[in-house]
Amino acid sequence: MAQEPKDVLVRMHEDLQRALEKAPEDRRWVMVIDLRKCVGCHACTIACVAENKLPPGVVYRPVMEREIGTYPNVTRQFIPRPCMQCDNPPCTPVCPVNATYANAEGVVVVDYEQCIGCRACIVACPYGARTADFGYTYTEELPVLEGAIVGRETADDYERAPNFEYGQEWPRENHRSSPIGNARKCHFCLHRIHEGELPACVTTCIGRATLYGDANDPDSLVTELIKQTNAIRLKEELGTEPKVYYLV
Amino acid sequence: MLTKRLTYAVGALAFLAGVWGIYTRLFVGERDVNYGSYVVWGLWVAMYLFFAGAATGSYMFATMEYLFNIKLFKGTGKAALWCALITMPAALATIGMDLGHMERIVKVYLEPNPFSLLAQMVWGYTSFIAVILVTMWLVYKKPETKLTKWALSIGLFVSIFLSGGVGALLGVNASRAYWHVGLLPVQFPIFSMATGFALLMIVLAWFAPKDENRPEQLRVIGMAVVVLLLVKTYFVWSDFSQSMYAGVPQNVEAVKSVLFGPYSWQFWAVQIGLGTLIPILVLTQRKLAGSAAWAGWMGLFVLIGFAIARTNIVFPALVIPELEGLATAFTGPHLSFDYSPSLLELSVVSGVVGGTIIALLLGLDFKRLNIFTSESEVK
Repeated sequence: MAQEPKDVLVRMHEDLQRALEKAPEDRRWVMVIDLRKCVGCHACTIACVAENKLPPGVVYRPVMEREIGTYPNVTRQFIPRPCMQCDNPPCTPVCPVNATYANAEGVVVVDYEQCIGCRACIVACPYGARTADFGYTYTEELPVLEGAIVGRETADDYERAPNFEYGQEWPRENHRSSPIGNARKCHFCLHRIHEGELPACVTTCIGRATLYGDANDPDSLVTELIKQTNAIRLKEELGTEPKVYYLV
Repeated sequence: MLTKRLTYAVGALAFLAGVWGIYTRLFVGERDVNYGSYVVWGLWVAMYLFFAGAATGSYMFATMEYLFNIKLFKGTGKAALWCALITMPAALATIGMDLGHMERIVKVYLEPNPFSLLAQMVWGYTSFIAVILVTMWLVYKKPETKLTKWALSIGLFVSIFLSGGVGALLGVNASRAYWHVGLLPVQFPIFSMATGFALLMIVLAWFAPKDENRPEQLRVIGMAVVVLLLVKTYFVWSDFSQSMYAGVPQNVEAVKSVLFGPYSWQFWAVQIGLGTLIPILVLTQRKLAGSAAWAGWMGLFVLIGFAIARTNIVFPALVIPELEGLATAFTGPHLSFDYSPSLLELSVVSGVVGGTIIALLLGLDFKRLNIFTSESEVK
């Protein structure tokens, strides 16, 4: 009797566990986004905002939309755009204080306590994959209602409570509290990965369009997918060697 | 005298207009700026380029007296060095305001990435301020010695290198087609020299004591400025025409935004009209070029033109989305590809300009500096 195919989430979890048993420098985290399956629901964007408690104006994974053709021969295309985690990242050498660099696993990270907020890395990124944190909160325009269970103060407390990027706590206390004033970017949810969980955008994708794993593992799902002839990368001509592949 | 008083008043008003902006930026934060995550750098970066150009250009001017011994410019070198010393901190103040964590600037000295052009520039400017101070000490104490010539030779090299370096700071970004041309580091020393010479034209025309050489000095500086303006215009032409002809979309859109788009009025009316054509027409008239009043005004027009030219380099490269659809993919504060400076940005620049004007004039008036007194008179 033929074995029932595994759900890709289950398979990716297994791939992830195998990868975590290896030394960090032996892993090659890769994301594959199947554009044929993306329905443009933006659930990945919202999951990312919730997971990383991103404030207004900061986004790690927007979904770009474009309309192709003219009526009646028209279609819409959706392109999620996380950080490309380039093998040759143009954003890291421009940093004057080495606050952004590719870590041992090849993921481009930002040291929030080191970053001086010059935004040179944002300028250098050809994918617009970094945003600056200007210190907003979503709830700051809400009214303060006496006796209300959830008013601005309660919601504001939640927004100012720390997020856990890079496995550390980052409370938003005042305009000088990092990551306010810093450049911010997608980090493939490293804090989740190290706990054996897939990135938030991957688990949330309703169409199983976003896939993740170790491309150094010959048995992983992503290794299988990136070998396909329909796998492309954005702006390859710049020599950035992105680790995000699109299936078209 | 009246001109100087009026200039003091303009400086004071400009500084007062900047107090709110500087206070807000320092104690409230960056939220009221119009640059952001897409138009990443704005007016403050453009003004940093402008002031840094004025500083390095002024230093280049000083070498005419102390390094190249051009007799006509005897007595102008100290004023040029003073201009360099005052405009360099103005550049650092504007770029400092642009940093999300300005209190961490010390990290660039203690934990730098030596391969970052930005870090190299910070180290370069620090060295340049030291070079200006050493040069000033030498021209006061040992004006005719070899040591002074050596200091000026090093300073001239540093000022040219730093000017070009700022061009490279932008030019190395392959992500921005509008900047990614080899011409930028070549253009910027020309921009700096023109800015420095125009600044000295104002200082010598309006604030220096009367001197029999002055009309001829102004004519020669005016001629130099005309040549530099023509070279600059040639650079702009070669840059824009090649970009349009090649047709790389991101580059073409950026050039169009300058020629026909949101920045066209400041390009045609201010950079080309006020800052280039009028000064060329006036400064090529021998009589007008030697007149202190006309020369001063033309110097001011050229300065304004170059300030705007810097904005026309910085803004257009950033208002073109890196990817189609990015502009509308997510909305929020500071996620826009439209840019014009906010009131906060204008206020800060006004404060820095006002402070610079006042500091410049105070130095010229400070008797112990003897800026316009020749060495023989001092002895």
